[in-house]
Amino acid sequence: MNSLDPRVIRLPKIEQEDIISPKIPLDQFGTFEVFVEPKEGKPFQHEGIVHAPNLEMAYILAKEAFTRRFTCTSLYVVDTREVYVSPMTEGENNAYELIPDAKESLNEKTTFEIYHLIKRGKQHVHQGHVAASNPTEAMAIAKTIYNKGKTVFNIWAIQSDKIRFTTQEEKDLWVTLPEKKFRDASDYKGGSKLKAFLEKEK
Amino acid sequence: MYGGGNTFEGIKTDSIQQEDPKRLAEFESRIDRGEKIEPSDWMPALYRKQLIRMIEQHAHSEIIGALPEGTWITRAPGFKRKMALMAKVQDEVGHAQLLYSAAETLGKSREKMIDDLISGKSKYSNVFNYPTYTWADCCFISWLVDAGAIVNQLANAKGSYGPYCRALDRICAEESFHLKYGHHCVIHLASGTQIQKDMFQEALNRWWPPMMHFFGPSDKISIHTDVLMRWKVKMGTNDDMRNQFLDMYVPKIWELGFTIPDPKLGKNPETGRWEYTEPDWEEFKRVINGDGPCNKERLEVRRIAEERGRWVREALKSPQAVYVVPLA
Repeated sequence: MNSLDPRVIRLPKIEQEDIISPKIPLDQFGTFEVFVEPKEGKPFQHEGIVHAPNLEMAYILAKEAFTRRFTCTSLYVVDTREVYVSPMTEGENNAYELIPDAKESLNEKTTFEIYHLIKRGKQHVHQGHVAASNPTEAMAIAKTIYNKGKTVFNIWAIQSDKIRFTTQEEKDLWVTLPEKKFRDASDYKGGSKLKAFLEKEK
Repeated sequence: MYGGGNTFEGIKTDSIQQEDPKRLAEFESRIDRGEKIEPSDWMPALYRKQLIRMIEQHAHSEIIGALPEGTWITRAPGFKRKMALMAKVQDEVGHAQLLYSAAETLGKSREKMIDDLISGKSKYSNVFNYPTYTWADCCFISWLVDAGAIVNQLANAKGSYGPYCRALDRICAEESFHLKYGHHCVIHLASGTQIQKDMFQEALNRWWPPMMHFFGPSDKISIHTDVLMRWKVKMGTNDDMRNQFLDMYVPKIWELGFTIPDPKLGKNPETGRWEYTEPDWEEFKRVINGDGPCNKERLEVRRIAEERGRWVREALKSPQAVYVVPLA
């Protein structure tokens, strides 16, 4: 192919270039939800998703996709199937009202992270964690602890040990972020050069 | 960048009649109140269909839009420009990922969208079917094509679909770097040698017609587009977007001593609107339908990437990782 792109010229031709076979179901990566802590002490916030073949790759891809700039102190990912979701409400209706009260369970308990959506159109934000034997019970317990004040439109519960957290040693992943000025609009001030140019043209 | 010039021609609104009138009324009043629609909310089939189409095209435009600039990374003048251009191209591909996941919440998988891109079924912004001959072409894209895209994206960020708006908020914040960087590059060419000035002027001459095409043909205001405007899928007419772009950037281009290759271009002091030679819409249609200078190459690059990446995907795939629709 006659191209201006050096990469295209270097590439070997592929066979049967016009035939693309549709992907088989297994040839699709899994879906993982991404949460970011923008500042030390601030709650984690849902940022979006990545597709990846496993949790570890999801973590790496999430770092590239969501923390290239602005401040970030920590990140975690979890398989979308591990997120338990309450019904969505609107207006004055609190999603917690739709959660049945907790029945004391004698089963072994584990930790669940709880997230709230307090403004429709915004992201889910981490509230805290509870000990429960299943997600339904976790939301019921959360109702007694976190259902205070603001209307909650949607609640998420995630079993903590399913989450790929950032370890203490990995915290330095974002230490150099503020040095990457070349990613920032403030590094491209053309003002003085423009002014000099306009002066000269007069 | 780059969700530009969406045409919603030929959409059929018949399906609205089959929707549950009570739910439709609730849906419309939620939009009227300025609330966002979330993936788990009820929505009309037409709303879902048009949004998938629009967000998917936007995502494809980011992926394809990375190609004409990406080719200049190795040839960018100096280390600083290389760093900046690399960061910009990485942003564009990142934006595509954000947009694909917003579209996925409506029920179409990323893999299906990518299949539709490389088979030629889905479209992307027409402007990327033109070549970047020189460094100045690359600077034109960074500054002015991105500027046009920001005009569109800022409008769309006020739309009604939650996941798309959240993706756009993030994208717009990153785009401010692209725009500043692009302007910086052009200021340097404008205040440089005669050869540099000429190089940008030639690029401007080449890119002006596709830039005018970028916002799409004048909308025929009909019941159909009216519905999409009411539902806040489409946030302004193509002519409004084009006018806003001209208003913001023509003075900045003139300021740098360049001329725009359109003798009719000027602002009408009475109407406050820009007047210009009607762009060649026959060419626009021809290029969008595959007959542009780079259409074949752009898709070929994606196909090669797909084929050459196959073994990586094969090696990584695992029955434990299962595709599901994203939550928000």
